[in-house]
Amino acid sequence: MAQELQSINLVAPAFKGVNTEDSPLAQDPSFAEIADNAVIDKRGRIAARKGHTVITTNKTVLGTDSLRAIKEFRDDAGNTKVFSVGNNKIISGTATLVDETPAGYSINADNWKLVDFNGRIYMFQRGFEPLVYDNTSGAVEAMSDHTHSSGVTSAIYGNEVLAAYGRLWTADFTANKSTIYWSDLLNGIHWTGGSSGNIDISKVWPDGYDEIVALAAHNNALIIFGKHSIIVYDGATSPASMTLADTVAGIGCVNRDTVQYTGTDLLFLSHTGLKSFGRTIQEKSMPISSLSGNITKDIIAALQNETQFFRSIYSPEEGFYLLTFTGQDMTYCFDVRGTLENGSYRVTRWPSTTFSSFTRLDDGTLYIGTSNGISTHTGYSDNNVSYRFKYYSPSLTFGDSSRVKILKKLKPTLVGANNATVFMKWAYDFDTTYATAEFTVGTQITGFYGESEYTTVEFTGGQLTNQRSLNTTGYGTSVQVGLESEIDGSSLSLQEINVMALIGKLL
Amino acid sequence: MVVNNSGVGALGSGQGSGITNDPSTSGFGQFLGGAADVLGGLLGGVQQIGSAISPAMPAIAGSLLTKEAYDRLSDIGTQSLTGVTVDGQRVPGAMEVAERGQRESQFRPFTVTTPTGSMFSARMGGQPSMGQPVTTMPVTSPGFAVPSPTAPPSMMLPPGMDQLFQMQRMPTGVMKGDIKPVQDGRYYPTAMAQQQPTTGGLEVGMTLSPQEQALQQQLLGGAGGFFGQAVQPTQAREQAIFERMRAAQRPEEERQRLALEERLAGQGRLGVSSAAYGGATPEMLAMATAQEEARNRSMLGAMQQAQAEQMQQAGLGQQFLGAGYVPQSQLLAAAQPGIQQQQLAQQAQQFGTGLFGETMMSGLEARLLAEQARANLLGGVGSNVLAGMFTPQVNKVTGVTTPAGGLGDLGGLFGGIGEGLGEIGRAIGIID
Repeated sequence: MAQELQSINLVAPAFKGVNTEDSPLAQDPSFAEIADNAVIDKRGRIAARKGHTVITTNKTVLGTDSLRAIKEFRDDAGNTKVFSVGNNKIISGTATLVDETPAGYSINADNWKLVDFNGRIYMFQRGFEPLVYDNTSGAVEAMSDHTHSSGVTSAIYGNEVLAAYGRLWTADFTANKSTIYWSDLLNGIHWTGGSSGNIDISKVWPDGYDEIVALAAHNNALIIFGKHSIIVYDGATSPASMTLADTVAGIGCVNRDTVQYTGTDLLFLSHTGLKSFGRTIQEKSMPISSLSGNITKDIIAALQNETQFFRSIYSPEEGFYLLTFTGQDMTYCFDVRGTLENGSYRVTRWPSTTFSSFTRLDDGTLYIGTSNGISTHTGYSDNNVSYRFKYYSPSLTFGDSSRVKILKKLKPTLVGANNATVFMKWAYDFDTTYATAEFTVGTQITGFYGESEYTTVEFTGGQLTNQRSLNTTGYGTSVQVGLESEIDGSSLSLQEINVMALIGKLL
Repeated sequence: MVVNNSGVGALGSGQGSGITNDPSTSGFGQFLGGAADVLGGLLGGVQQIGSAISPAMPAIAGSLLTKEAYDRLSDIGTQSLTGVTVDGQRVPGAMEVAERGQRESQFRPFTVTTPTGSMFSARMGGQPSMGQPVTTMPVTSPGFAVPSPTAPPSMMLPPGMDQLFQMQRMPTGVMKGDIKPVQDGRYYPTAMAQQQPTTGGLEVGMTLSPQEQALQQQLLGGAGGFFGQAVQPTQAREQAIFERMRAAQRPEEERQRLALEERLAGQGRLGVSSAAYGGATPEMLAMATAQEEARNRSMLGAMQQAQAEQMQQAGLGQQFLGAGYVPQSQLLAAAQPGIQQQQLAQQAQQFGTGLFGETMMSGLEARLLAEQARANLLGGVGSNVLAGMFTPQVNKVTGVTTPAGGLGDLGGLFGGIGEGLGEIGRAIGIID
């Protein structure tokens, strides 16, 4: 007697992002085994990420190198200027990149960190004299060359710089990994006199020895990240009187450029994944949560394999935290709008983006640095080059792993994907050889009344959805389904996948 | 003409034998001796002179008496100065009396010994030293009764007086004992007799007992030490006081420092260095400020203490110096009764000497008056004789006036004497 087809509806597949930590068989179908070039869109669906559009038209000064850092300078008078670094140069501009490297100032590395503070932009890199720019001088100059600078010695040539609590803080020096210097109040070029000072925390490390990697200001505290420990000083508004509030052993920060503020959390990348300090003002405690618990092994592997820079950005507009391993050309996208039951962020991967730096402008625009110069995070192509969206579900047992499942049909529901070719894939029993069914989505350009010509587009109420039914073959006790599509100018969201299968005999 | 001095001598002997005053005798003898070989002629001359004198005998006798009176007055004057022996009793002259008076009124050396053994002695220059051993006599002076050896205990010599005696035998003004540098670099005599004048004037000697000398040396040495310390610069003392004060403060400061260090370590602020707080934390700056204030207070306190000690040293030196002279002043005080006694003795001595001199001078004066009276008497007789020679004789009965032949007799006298001398001269060949 023929059995009835059993429908297993994967609603909002990969709604919880990638999970490579749990066993595939026990996983919630809301997780994804693979979610490349994807984000969780505003409706909680997995969707293709945005691409970037290069706005730089003249990148002569950059050559073939990539932009390693971007920062927008703004002062109280409303002056703005975008600075970037790359090709051992200090660069300004967005359309045309201009070399702003001070005359006679030699640069052989591009690991600069730029901070905007009180009418000046400061650039710090280990072993290099800090650079400073303000609208008055109109040029980048070595800090000691500034008319009003004082106390600028090699002692403050730090790799990390933080503008917080009314002063600059710098640390991570060539030969001193445990001292933090702070400038005079509201004056980042005064490193002697006033209320400037320093603190040597070599005796404070909770596990005996560590090296300062990054600094952060959070919850009226100065957070000092070591490689494998964290020290929190309270009352950092008065550095001379700030007191040790908390220490964390075993968790540190991998790189200064992974630290991002999300308003409620302080995100940073540790050796065991992305972490955050949860702000709990009432309790004055700072619980640490692991935000990459679903891809811990992947992150650790990426950390171990990384040979270049780490870059990150938090975009409240996009609701994500991007973490890029530039050496591996891999970006992890953490959806910060909410956490899962295990406290992790929903995460997707953006491979092969060539992103090398980020910055968020004051208006929320996300600038991305690449070898092409500065791009904006817009559109659905990487500077008119398509990228592949991938989704693969975890292995599905449909609630009974002892019985054979025979797939009959796959019915994906897509949103957008104008004229995109979509590849539906499936495999059984953890096989990596997928069977594929291809289809092309029709024109999905939305037409609004009064904007589009009649008969040119179909009037719709929003994005168009496209639902297909694909016949499938094969059987197995567990089934993995996937969807891939080249994203080339149009968004694509995966609303749901309806899997029609027969439940067979017991094995 | 032969002068008989016997008559005169007899006259004189009635007043006082032993008075030898015949200066013409020797010249006449010499004359006789020189004319021995011409004695014959001489005798003739003498005879001629005698013949010439004989008629002038009264005049001669009168003249001789007058001369005798004159000579006696002269002799009395001389004897009043040089003295004379009367009836085998030597009667001193004024000079002798004066010498004796001077001698007997001379200052008598004396020594006052206190019950503690110190001695006060006084003598005139040239007088024998008073270094003779003094027994138990506390006040020794000629004419004073020697007290019994069993004198009151307070007058007994204290132990160690034999050393004092040895010291007393030292010449006055001689310093005894070694002079050795002591630790403070100054020199102190181990024993020193009091400086005494060495001229012919009054020599005053004061000698303390060994115990008092030791005490005096100790006190004076102490005074020197205190004064020496008082004149020293105070920097070293200030530093020493400061170090002691700091040594007392350091433990507490160290405890506070450690407490602060622990506090800062607990707060993770051990390595804080802020330019606003002198390169430290506010607490460290506060502590450093407090410690510096304590140091400053200690420094000022040390300065004040050093100055106070300097004043104290000076005061102690003054006290020791005063106390060092207490034995001497006590010696002087104790010597006052003895000196007064000696003054009484001296007064009695001087009074006796004056009385003696006055008595002797009154005897001499009486004798002078007597001799003056006798000379006046003798001179009066001579005058009367001579007056008789030159006064005409009026017989009140007859009323006949006999002219005075004195001048004629005198003419004959001188003529006869001249002739006689001429004879003698010729006899001896000096006159042709």
